[in-house]
Amino acid sequence: MSRGIVISGKFGEIVVRQKHGEEIELGELLIAENKSAKILLQAYDLVYGSQLSASNLELVSGMKLEEDSDLMLMDEKLRNYTLALLKNLITITPKNARSSKSLPEFFSSVREVKKEDLGFITKPDAPLFVGRLRSGSKILDFDIFLPGKDVFSHHILIPATTGRGKSNLTSLMLWDCLDKNYAGVLVLDPHDEYYGRNKLGLKDHPKKENLAYYSSEPPAGGRSLRINLSHVKPWHFNGAADWSPAQKEALSALYKRYNKDWIKFALTIPDHEGFQEGTLAVIRRRLSSLLDLDSDGSSVFCNGIFDMQAGQTTISDICSDLEKGKVVVVDTSDFSGSVEILIGSLIATEILNKYKSHKNKGILKDKPVISIVLEEAPRVLGKQVLESGPNIFSTIAREGRKFKVGLTAITQLPSLIPREILANMNTKIILGIEMAPERQAIIDSASQDLSSDSRAIASLDKGEAIISSNFTKFAIPVKIPLFEDYVRSRPKEKKDAIDFEGVNLS
Amino acid sequence: MKFSHIADCHIGGWRDPKLKDLNTQAFFRALDISLKEKVDFIVIGGDLFNTALPGIDRLKDVVRKFRELKEKNVPVYLIPGSHDFSPSGKTMLDVLEEAGLCTNVVKGSVENNKLKLKFTIDEKTGAKITGMLGRRGMLERTYYEELDRASLEKEPGFKIFLFHTAITELKPKDMDRMDSAPISLLPKGFDYYAGGHVHIVEKLDMPGYRNVVYPGPLFPNNFHELEELKGGGFYIYDNGEVKRHEIAIKKVVSIRVDALHKNSEKVTEELLDKVKRDAEEDCIILIRISGVLQSGRVSDIDFKKVYDILAKKDVYFVMRNTSGLATKEFEEVKIETRSAEEIEDRLIEEHLGQRDAAGWGKEKERKMIKDLMVVLSSDKKEGEKVYEFEARIKDELNKLLEID
Repeated sequence: MSRGIVISGKFGEIVVRQKHGEEIELGELLIAENKSAKILLQAYDLVYGSQLSASNLELVSGMKLEEDSDLMLMDEKLRNYTLALLKNLITITPKNARSSKSLPEFFSSVREVKKEDLGFITKPDAPLFVGRLRSGSKILDFDIFLPGKDVFSHHILIPATTGRGKSNLTSLMLWDCLDKNYAGVLVLDPHDEYYGRNKLGLKDHPKKENLAYYSSEPPAGGRSLRINLSHVKPWHFNGAADWSPAQKEALSALYKRYNKDWIKFALTIPDHEGFQEGTLAVIRRRLSSLLDLDSDGSSVFCNGIFDMQAGQTTISDICSDLEKGKVVVVDTSDFSGSVEILIGSLIATEILNKYKSHKNKGILKDKPVISIVLEEAPRVLGKQVLESGPNIFSTIAREGRKFKVGLTAITQLPSLIPREILANMNTKIILGIEMAPERQAIIDSASQDLSSDSRAIASLDKGEAIISSNFTKFAIPVKIPLFEDYVRSRPKEKKDAIDFEGVNLS
Repeated sequence: MKFSHIADCHIGGWRDPKLKDLNTQAFFRALDISLKEKVDFIVIGGDLFNTALPGIDRLKDVVRKFRELKEKNVPVYLIPGSHDFSPSGKTMLDVLEEAGLCTNVVKGSVENNKLKLKFTIDEKTGAKITGMLGRRGMLERTYYEELDRASLEKEPGFKIFLFHTAITELKPKDMDRMDSAPISLLPKGFDYYAGGHVHIVEKLDMPGYRNVVYPGPLFPNNFHELEELKGGGFYIYDNGEVKRHEIAIKKVVSIRVDALHKNSEKVTEELLDKVKRDAEEDCIILIRISGVLQSGRVSDIDFKKVYDILAKKDVYFVMRNTSGLATKEFEEVKIETRSAEEIEDRLIEEHLGQRDAAGWGKEKERKMIKDLMVVLSSDKKEGEKVYEFEARIKDELNKLLEID
């Protein structure tokens, strides 16, 4: 059914007069049919139109207000109407879909989009479910999948104001990944919200064997997060702690001299062993505080997750799980941001090095893509942080895709991330952003032209998103289902009873 | 309260009779020390035997020693380990228990699909002992996942938990590929966690878990363990104090030669020098040669000369390992794993799920492969007729494959 008619405008700013009784919404997808092709259009602005002059409109409104509220205009539906401003998204031919390069015909009718129009949006290999196609506020029965391998390795950015559904989207993506083995995903979870310790979460997935959960206080089945101190190297602190040049040199010298035992010696060597007393004191204080260690001058006592004895295989276990395409959630809710970054840095360095080695050996193609989910990404990717030098996350942002290692960066403040890193994030799943500078940072670095979508982004409701990606033909509006509803709607798998062979059951 | 904690005895484990004897001697030594120390009881964290149905001679040794313990009123509490567990339920541990020589503490009931373990109470001390058996490929993990931990945790008294599982958080770096389970699967709040399976010596406290102990084997079980551990040992818990007792039956001398940039003559020469210098009477000699020979073949290394010298020195036993040795004249062979079990596990993992004709899914397929391997690798027993052996194997296979 016709929703309106093309009456004027220019490319990217097509004016459609809305049919009386119809209601075109901001963000709505519409189809204009030419002889040989269909053009997919999207409403980005709505304005009033009228055949009456402004002074007549004011007069009529005054009469309605002051004299006769029942006053009717003659042929009102012809004289007053709504104009929708549409932009071209894509031209669909029976053979393919390509970028639009022409206008729909003058006076051509526009109608709402139908499922049959969208045959060009196919389910890719290694599909990553991100929601259902949305046209304005209407949800179409059409699932949207991104090519998982590509989008994960080329980095994903999830920008949004608080409460717009970042965690819900991440939970949904992780749930989807658990079903498949094409991607290993490391999640540093500062709010302990994905595993579902006391609520519905990833632990309830039928393939929960593909999930590894680390916590300082894990529930049954979770792994105790213990990291052996011998695995911590000076460069792991990049991004996690701010060292002066003298302190950095001292750290390197300690590592060179004592190798894997450098932290133990840093805390126990006598002051005069070739290091400035003040420098060593600061290093000791910082290491003790970050790693939760104590020392009596001869021995080191571990109070937290960093341990002299346990956790010798934690980092390699995590990397091994990631290489098997599993989702690894590390609960960092008990730690400061610096410790969280340090843990992430340890794992990220190891996995990137492993993947570099796989590339050298020519076996990278057989490995699943890796993604590292980072909450509050500007902590490690922010302009200010990077001024003091690169860290493993900025390295991954710049060159990780060559080695199939990517980031999934979540943030409320994308404007704090340098432009070249934002531009490297080739998929942006944009949820509602109210602050104009933040919207602008995203629009300026998006894969598609979103210059007219600022208002649409600001008006995105909870769970509504626009996906701009190098791997989609246009910026796709989606509605992300509520994680709990989605999980509850999945078919339940029947669990076989265990026979407990070997246990004397009486 | 005083008790011994031993594990991974692997009685009957070595092929060579001389090493097999040492293994048994180590076991005797541990029990003798325990008696001398006047322990109240002994716990064994799995793998008392190297197979579910050990040879008669070794069985006689164990029975004789267990009887001695029984006469002296020192009970033995144990769990089956990955080596002496049998999926068909036919393990010699059952016979020993029937004879009243030991108690398998893996007892319980299933309530609402949850495994509710029962405690075995030591009469003398009142210690409450329970535990979980170990299975090949860590198939016991599903048991842990369905374990009713709450009932075990709320039980008052002095409690010991026996387990035969690699704990993820405690694995050493060189065992990072080993299947393991997180410690959180074990019930919390026990006074002692008597571990087995991982041949490492470790005692650790973690939040909620006090005295998590791996004593390691009583006698090393392979070349690598002999090199690393030299000997074996066990722990004695004495009213809160946990003390290790080392068992060194023979001195172990490890001789290593790096073949890098050397030819076979040079390697022989270096080996002879080291042997002359280090070998002692009645010791076990371990020779490991690794690296890539500059020229010559591995077979050009004159081991006969080396053995002649060792024979003159009257050493107890010589073992050599050249798995890491290659020559430029041949293609290099890389061995990344050490034990046959590890290689098996990796091969299974690699091929799992490729043909899922039975629709089992990966986990069931893994379990079935492991169980089949155990059944099909069992030997004909002494005195067992061929038809009896065949019938036994068929019976076990039928049970496993659920064929009526």
